[in-house]
Amino acid sequence: MQVYKAPLRDMRFVLHELHNSAAHVAEIGQPDVAEELIDSILEEAGKFATDILLPLNASGDEEGCRYENGVVRTPKGFIEAYKKFCEGGWGALASDPAYGGQGLPEIVGKMVEEMQCSANLSFGLYPGLTHGATLALQGHGTDELKQAYLPKMIDGTWSGTMCLTEPQCGTDLGLMRTKAVPQEDGSYRISGAKIFISAGEHDLTENIVHLVLARLPDAPKGIKGVSMFLVPKFLPTEDGRPGARNGVTCTAIEHKMGLKASATTQLYFDEAVGWLVGEPNKGMRAMFTMMNAERLSVGIQGLGVAETAYQSAAFYAKDRIQGRALAGARYPDRAADPIIVHPDVRRSLMTIRAYVEGCRALSGWVATALDLETKAADPVRRQEAEDFVAIMTPVVKALFTDLGFELSSMALQVYGGHGYIRDHGMEQLVRDARICMIYEGANGIQALDLVGRKMPAHMGRFLRGFFHPVQAFIEENAADPKVLPLAKSFAALQQATAHIATVSLKDPEEAGAAATDYLRMFGLVALGYMWARAAKVAAEKLPAANGDAGFYQAKLTTAQFFADRLLPQTSALWSSIKAGKASMMALEDAAF
Amino acid sequence: MAEMFTKVAVIGSGVMGCGIAAQIANAGVRVLLLDILPREGSNRRAVAEGAIAKALKTDPAPFMSAAAARLIEAGNIEDDLARVAECDWIVEVVVERLDIKQTLYRRLEAVRRPGTPISSNTSTIPLSQLTEGLPERFTRDFMITHFFNPPRYMRLMELVTGPHTDATLADKIALFCDVALGKSVVNCKDSPGFIANRLGVFWMTGAVTQTIEHGLTIEEADAVMGRPFGVPKTGVFGLMDLVGLDLMPHVNASMAGALPENDEFHAINRDIPIIGRLIETGYTGRKGKGGFYRLNKTGGKRVKETLDFATGEYRPERRAELPELVAAGRDLRALMSAPGRVGAYAWAVMGHTMAYAAKLIPEATDEIVAIDEAMRLGYNWKHGPFELIDMVGADWLIERLHAEGFAVPPMLQRAAGRSFYRVQNGIRQQLGQDGEYTDIVRPHGILMLEDIKLAAKPVLKNGSASVWDIGDGVLCFEFTSKSNSLDEQIMALLGKTIALVKKEYKALVIYNEGSNFSVGANLGLALFAANIAAWMQVESLIATGQEMMQKLKYAPFPVVSAPSGMALGGGCEFLLHSDAVQAHAETYAGLVECGVGLLPGWGGCKEMLGRWASDPKMPKGPMPAPAKVFEMVSTAKVAKSAAEAREMLVLRPSDRVTMNRYRLLADAKRRALELAADYKAPEPREIVLPGPSGRVALNQAVAGFAKLGMATTHDVVVSGELATVLTGGDTDIIDTVKEGKILDLERESFMRLLRTPGTLARIEHMLETGKPLRN
Ligand SMILES: Cc1cc2nc3c(=O)[nH]c(=O)nc-3n(C[C@H](O)[C@H](O)[C@H](O)COP(=O)(O)OP(=O)(O)OC[C@H]3O[C@@H](n4cnc5c(N)ncnc54)[C@H](O)[C@@H]3O)c2cc1C
Repeated sequence: MQVYKAPLRDMRFVLHELHNSAAHVAEIGQPDVAEELIDSILEEAGKFATDILLPLNASGDEEGCRYENGVVRTPKGFIEAYKKFCEGGWGALASDPAYGGQGLPEIVGKMVEEMQCSANLSFGLYPGLTHGATLALQGHGTDELKQAYLPKMIDGTWSGTMCLTEPQCGTDLGLMRTKAVPQEDGSYRISGAKIFISAGEHDLTENIVHLVLARLPDAPKGIKGVSMFLVPKFLPTEDGRPGARNGVTCTAIEHKMGLKASATTQLYFDEAVGWLVGEPNKGMRAMFTMMNAERLSVGIQGLGVAETAYQSAAFYAKDRIQGRALAGARYPDRAADPIIVHPDVRRSLMTIRAYVEGCRALSGWVATALDLETKAADPVRRQEAEDFVAIMTPVVKALFTDLGFELSSMALQVYGGHGYIRDHGMEQLVRDARICMIYEGANGIQALDLVGRKMPAHMGRFLRGFFHPVQAFIEENAADPKVLPLAKSFAALQQATAHIATVSLKDPEEAGAAATDYLRMFGLVALGYMWARAAKVAAEKLPAANGDAGFYQAKLTTAQFFADRLLPQTSALWSSIKAGKASMMALEDAAF
Repeated sequence: MAEMFTKVAVIGSGVMGCGIAAQIANAGVRVLLLDILPREGSNRRAVAEGAIAKALKTDPAPFMSAAAARLIEAGNIEDDLARVAECDWIVEVVVERLDIKQTLYRRLEAVRRPGTPISSNTSTIPLSQLTEGLPERFTRDFMITHFFNPPRYMRLMELVTGPHTDATLADKIALFCDVALGKSVVNCKDSPGFIANRLGVFWMTGAVTQTIEHGLTIEEADAVMGRPFGVPKTGVFGLMDLVGLDLMPHVNASMAGALPENDEFHAINRDIPIIGRLIETGYTGRKGKGGFYRLNKTGGKRVKETLDFATGEYRPERRAELPELVAAGRDLRALMSAPGRVGAYAWAVMGHTMAYAAKLIPEATDEIVAIDEAMRLGYNWKHGPFELIDMVGADWLIERLHAEGFAVPPMLQRAAGRSFYRVQNGIRQQLGQDGEYTDIVRPHGILMLEDIKLAAKPVLKNGSASVWDIGDGVLCFEFTSKSNSLDEQIMALLGKTIALVKKEYKALVIYNEGSNFSVGANLGLALFAANIAAWMQVESLIATGQEMMQKLKYAPFPVVSAPSGMALGGGCEFLLHSDAVQAHAETYAGLVECGVGLLPGWGGCKEMLGRWASDPKMPKGPMPAPAKVFEMVSTAKVAKSAAEAREMLVLRPSDRVTMNRYRLLADAKRRALELAADYKAPEPREIVLPGPSGRVALNQAVAGFAKLGMATTHDVVVSGELATVLTGGDTDIIDTVKEGKILDLERESFMRLLRTPGTLARIEHMLETGKPLRN
């Protein structure tokens, strides 16, 4: 059974106690976003997730989207849920007030996103893509386009997509073929075929706004010749209503492993009317604004699914009785002990829990930087925040989504055969979580982004935002033996970083060979740092905690588990990194 | 050694005359600089005096020190011509007019001491014409010494002798120009343009006309002609802006007039109307309003613009993006064969320049090495034309010339199936006109690592340094890292080297043949390490460096550093810890760390304090030395010559200067052996420093500058740390401070600075833009 209640206590801990939301909202000039306000939003969002979205998760998966004659129907209940979603203003939470958004800090927005992903990943994709599209439009669109589209997208009346992928062009966007021909009136005609486009067609909104990457006639070859265009499904009329049907049609939807309630479409653009967003041939720059935000969001999808997997597994482990505790029966009055008494089941639960809470803490940290990047008064702080987001984006995306899949699979294991059959919904979580490792840049590509672009940029300047605070924390707490495992793995990460930076100067393949291991190592240290800080906060609060003592005690124990059992993986990763590419690259292509 | 002249007369104080005079004075030799009478005014020496005054303000400076300028005495040819009798050599650098030159020669004939060599710096008039009608006495003493502009910095001197020129006299001049003036002397025949300009003008003319012909933009042409062929990255158009567009028509006309009708130059030389228009409108290059490139300052903005040949107008500079260059990489043959206009252009210009070079044998000289040397030193090419031919393959070149119906010069034909150069038994050989290879012999007394390497393997070596046995018990430590930047590996190999010299050798020379001795510590590595908070690693690099510098200083054998070019930061600290420095005159040394928000951490503060404290000219008391060092180091002052380095005490009175780059290693080795004779390591020095009160005084001075807007926020932070180190930290005036204590202070302050965002921003900015950040 999919069990989910928003982990409000932990979210409050992350926001207020770990990342000091009060100081944060003051720094970004929103002191009125007080703790109580944040808490009430989280509570409402939690209710919405559990009451409205969760019940549609399994049924949506069962039913899937249906395609008929260019029209896509979402599963039963989605239209109503989406209406409520818009009415609740959930899509406009962190959007710009200038266009009808509520302008709440990202630290709140990201928590709410997590809840939606936990409760119903497929559903979350529709508004999620819209949000990303508004960011790209806001950053690079003309005022005219912004006025015409942003308010409708932010209030959810219209939805958005991002159209990059074509049959021959996935990771390598330089291979793109879709064309854009300029017209005398300043618009463009877009022609070409796109595949795998999420939310490319559906029945939730009255209009769909596609952000399409395409080539201008005189564009340079490769990635430097790609531009971004806005192509609406219906051309808006003078008074802003959906008017004439534009030349974009949905030719099919994909049949896929999971995420079945999300329409993954094939789109055909036939002389569709579009407008340039950003500069000619600078489409990637415009798209990256969106992709950075999206990549973090995809990371949070992984986290969201893992949370539900955890809650479901914890529920089942206490419920299902099999065998006896090794140290002697714990519940002698029952036929057997609940499986939660078994160390191996504990291992799974603790592992999932430690990762999930660590990831949440980390996403909170990155979210503060998302806010600071645009809202800090001091330009130096803004730059620092931007650097930090740059380095953490690939880490969060790949680490969280790898974990999302690994952990939901681990949770399924707790269910045994009952996890594998469909009834309990565990296999859905595994299937749904799997896509997050692929889209928005496959995780291997994230790792390359980390070692190949972000790491060497400005002689390692992006790294500073992570390495300096961690080193400072270790120095400040040098006397605390609990910080020792972090210090050790951090030192290894420093060595690995310097090592990769050096070897890849001579041989870029070395960087490529080390990339995935390095990203995981980086991620583990980042989580280790979050846990060390969380433990420190918990230890400080525990003596006066009263009713909350259990919470803090559990934090301390989970922190210890992370340091004891998970963080040491960094040593093994460092060993593989040091081994280099030799054995990986030795075999001839034909030997495979 | 060269017989030193005591006084030289230079007649003509234009840019070249004055520059030659300055270089002679730089060598420590007196100069009588004569020019004509001024058109007005009562000061009869005004012309030459004005030229000297202007030279003192010129950048890059013709003079190596203010003292050098004082060795020049100005005069005029009406009142002072007879004084050439005081001089050991007379250099004529007057306008390029035969009649004027000959009149002057006749007047000189009357007053000079018989047997005094006379030379002309003409670049266009053949020696045979210059001496026509002059008595044999004169022709025996006469030759052409053709310097390049600016004479201080351009290392080429073309020497042309006539059939009557006294060979001993010519040797004497050659030796003086070599040893005293630091020039590489290339013997040329009396043919038009001699070597460098003959080929250089051919190349430049071709490059311009072919750019228009093949429809390249100026940026594209410079990108093709520049880096790929090892030509300075200014390329051809940048170079023409530098020398002046207005020269081109004159030079080309004179070249065309002097060359025989069948010379290939005529085929590529044509009138380019747009250049005439540019000159008429004042666009004569950098000295004018701009040239092919210009800086448009209208509207308060500074926009770099480039001339568009198609429209004749300027447009914003556009970086050349040429996939052909990327595809060809270092393969010049691939570049010259690339389909399309880029390959066609590269071939049309360089293919023909290479062939033309071969044709200059035997017209302009009998030796290919002379032509290569002339182009390397006269045009700053990295490789001479024959070296380039060896890179693309003589056979390929011959075949292509054939295929396109061009004549193949006999010298090129001779290289068919082989190369122009080869190495035989560890010695570099050149192909001669007889088709035989002969050893390339350097002038007497030159020792080059480049040559040693052909015949030997390094004694020690790692990724950043090598050690060579240069004979007679002397080892040479060579930096081989990128830009000779200093890193862990250099320090590691230095440790091993010191141990080895101790056991088996007499002395150590630190020297290399890169364009700079060392630009200092590898800042990229340091910044990366700082960004990942690898403080221990950085600190241990500082500590190891300090340890190595101390070991160098106190080693039981002499250490001689022989720098040329930049010796900055850590590079300068190597000099400071050597027993002696044999510096190339063009050494630019300084402790520049403050520019990137750091301070000298390898004992630079310590050594400079010691030197200034023991300088007899300094006032007494603990404060003058720190104040003096503070002034230099906090402003990151760099000496613009070895002579200036002396003034800064980066060089001691006992340190010596070599004028000719090629002679540096031999001089350093000689010095090392001299010292080895009965060597005793120096005694550790203890000095008295002012402590906190001194620090406060220095800080107050900086605070004052900050108020006036002359010091930035981070300057204050950096100088604060520097003040702490230089005043001895918490020391008391009544105590003496040991070297170790100053080193500790250096290290601690260095580490504190490295942790500041201001310093990290400075380093990053320097690495990314090459310019200091004023934050
Ligand atoms: C459910 C779903 C929804 C999607 N939604 C959208 C959408 O809304 N909009 C959109 O534009 N696209 C969407 N996509 C497409 C998705 O972004 C791509 O599938 C993804 O970018 C990978 O491209 P590809 O499938 O062509 O794989 P390929 O690019 O063929 O890659 C295959 C494998 O090779 C690896 N690889 C490729 N190149 C390199 C390299 N240079 N170095 C190392 N490894 C490399 C990859 O990591 C990957 O593992 C969606 C896909 C799915 C399945």
